[in-house]
Amino acid sequence: MAIDTVKLEALFRKVEEQQAPCIIRAVEVEKVYRMGNEEVRALQGASVDIYKGEYLSIMGPSGSGKTTLFNMIGGLGKPTSGKVYIDQVDIAQLDYNELAWLRCRKVGYIFQTYNLIQVMTCLENVTLPMAFAGMDAEDARDKGIAILQMVGLGDRILHKPGELSGGQQQRCAIARALANSPDIILADEPTANLDTHTGEEIIELLSRLKEELGVTIVSATHDLKMLKRSDRILWIEDGRIVRMAHPSEIDFSVGDFD
Amino acid sequence: MEAIREQVRLPFSVAFEVVMQGIRIRFGRSLVTATGVVLGVAFLMSILSGQVIRQGVSHEAQLRTETKRMFSFLTAEMGPPKDQVIGVLQVGPLNEAEVRLIRTLKERGAKAINWAQLTGQGAAPPEVARLVTGTSVEEVAAEASSLLIMGQGSLPQLDWATLLASSAQATVGATQKQEVAEVAPGVPLVSLARELKPEEIEAQALEQKRSAFRNLWMTIISLVVTFICISNSLLMSVTERFKEIGTMKCLGALSSFVRRLFLIESSLIGLVGAVAGALVGLVFAIIGYGLTFGFPLVLSSLQWGAIAFYFVPCLAAGVGLSVMAALYPASFAARMVPGTALRTNI
Ligand SMILES: Nc1ncnc2c1ncn2[C@@H]1O[C@H](COP(=O)(O)OP(=O)(O)OP(=O)(O)O)[C@@H](O)[C@H]1O
Ligand SMILES: [Mg+2]
Repeated sequence: MAIDTVKLEALFRKVEEQQAPCIIRAVEVEKVYRMGNEEVRALQGASVDIYKGEYLSIMGPSGSGKTTLFNMIGGLGKPTSGKVYIDQVDIAQLDYNELAWLRCRKVGYIFQTYNLIQVMTCLENVTLPMAFAGMDAEDARDKGIAILQMVGLGDRILHKPGELSGGQQQRCAIARALANSPDIILADEPTANLDTHTGEEIIELLSRLKEELGVTIVSATHDLKMLKRSDRILWIEDGRIVRMAHPSEIDFSVGDFD
Repeated sequence: MEAIREQVRLPFSVAFEVVMQGIRIRFGRSLVTATGVVLGVAFLMSILSGQVIRQGVSHEAQLRTETKRMFSFLTAEMGPPKDQVIGVLQVGPLNEAEVRLIRTLKERGAKAINWAQLTGQGAAPPEVARLVTGTSVEEVAAEASSLLIMGQGSLPQLDWATLLASSAQATVGATQKQEVAEVAPGVPLVSLARELKPEEIEAQALEQKRSAFRNLWMTIISLVVTFICISNSLLMSVTERFKEIGTMKCLGALSSFVRRLFLIESSLIGLVGAVAGALVGLVFAIIGYGLTFGFPLVLSSLQWGAIAFYFVPCLAAGVGLSVMAALYPASFAARMVPGTALRTNI
């Protein structure tokens, strides 16, 4: 019996798809900010499927709604309309308790503005989410030190954010996002303030998390190196997703990406 | 893949640990917040204890006048008490002025003060026990240059002749009004008690009413000041941490945990501030009134019981207002959508 290669290929692709289920699905998400009479439509029907273990980069001009999208898919805000599913669960259906669990364990956030707690040391900032997860203080301390060493802040663990450079603060924020070994990392411009070398190290770190631990990474960035390493790139403009592409489809040399 | 579960509820000890760490880290800021509580409570306490001090002082002053008057009435009859024997026949409970009179007589050099209780044996009341020599009714007036009938009670028929036999020309004095009417005829009796005229009583009642109203008014005003002082400093300290609350929520803190943090922190700060404030307020009141009326008078008339009693509302106000002022904005911030709380800049 002759083997139909075309059919076989289709069969294999299907298996591949099953291996990478959709971890985050945003459906027609709209977000309207109201300030008095004024309305700002930050998201206008954004739909995106993010697969488990992929590295998705998000690009878009300033004010296009990247941070808002992160907030919506990370359970930090409520969409005005539309739905967000994480692991097939509509997060609007979760109660405050489950939402807290989700924010604590499932998702690691790297905020654009770091949002480190200024009065706490690096280590305390990193161990805070572990405390929220109920981890023992000793274990949390050990893990926190290990993570900080990994991001190259091993010699700064007892410094407060105010005593760190912008890049060091960013790395502390990255370390905090890794605290509870999340399945998903939402990174809002994680390399914006880093020099090329440190930036590369962070990209390397994120790629390793993805490769070795299967962590899903969603990152807003304009960093070429990051874009090249990602699996897919998504463009957002005026709150709408306007384009989705694989890095190989893009000619980075001609500034196709802005 | 792990299914979504419920977030763990952290035990109280973790919250307490986080709070203590927070207070240690921002010790200076916590101190500033506590200072607000100290000021608020100090104001309240100084007003309240000021009322106690004023009452005590006026009571003391009245007592002193009363004693002085009885003393001078008595000495006008019997001469200076130096080296004299004085008899005291107690017919009922003594009032403060009578005790003072006994003390004054002793201080002015009376040789002995014989004391007897009409109603039976019994020991002298503790406040005069040190000053008097207990005897029987028959001997109380022996060699005495005066016999004082003291205490609130009625005076039964006595054999005055025998009683006063050994003490020629003794002055018989009564320090309270009701006794005088019942004394046997033929015994010369000096009334040391003073009878208030109706208009005096009326004036006193009016003055009392006025001062009660003034005290109430002052208390209300000071409560308002305390409220503003405490809520202002606590509100400030919480609202400047909205962003921090937002961050904690984003990292998976439960609202109940955030509320608990601020509950513990504000009650600790409230308690420390209130205790310090109450002490500061008391010291200020004592200094203030001491400078006005003289420290000896103020300190000797201080009613510690009443002042200790006023510590209770001061602590309650300090802790209660602190918790209220902190918990309201904290739970407001905790209920906010975390993404929004992150952006707030107050
Ligand atoms: N809390 C808010 N209240 C009102 N408007 C808001 C709020 N948050 C965002 N916006 C508006 O929504 C739009 C999208 O904002 P967003 O922060 O998502 O942009 P962004 O793509 O992250 O920009 P950038 O690259 O500069 O960080 C902007 O026009 C912004 O003014
Ligand atoms: Mg942004």
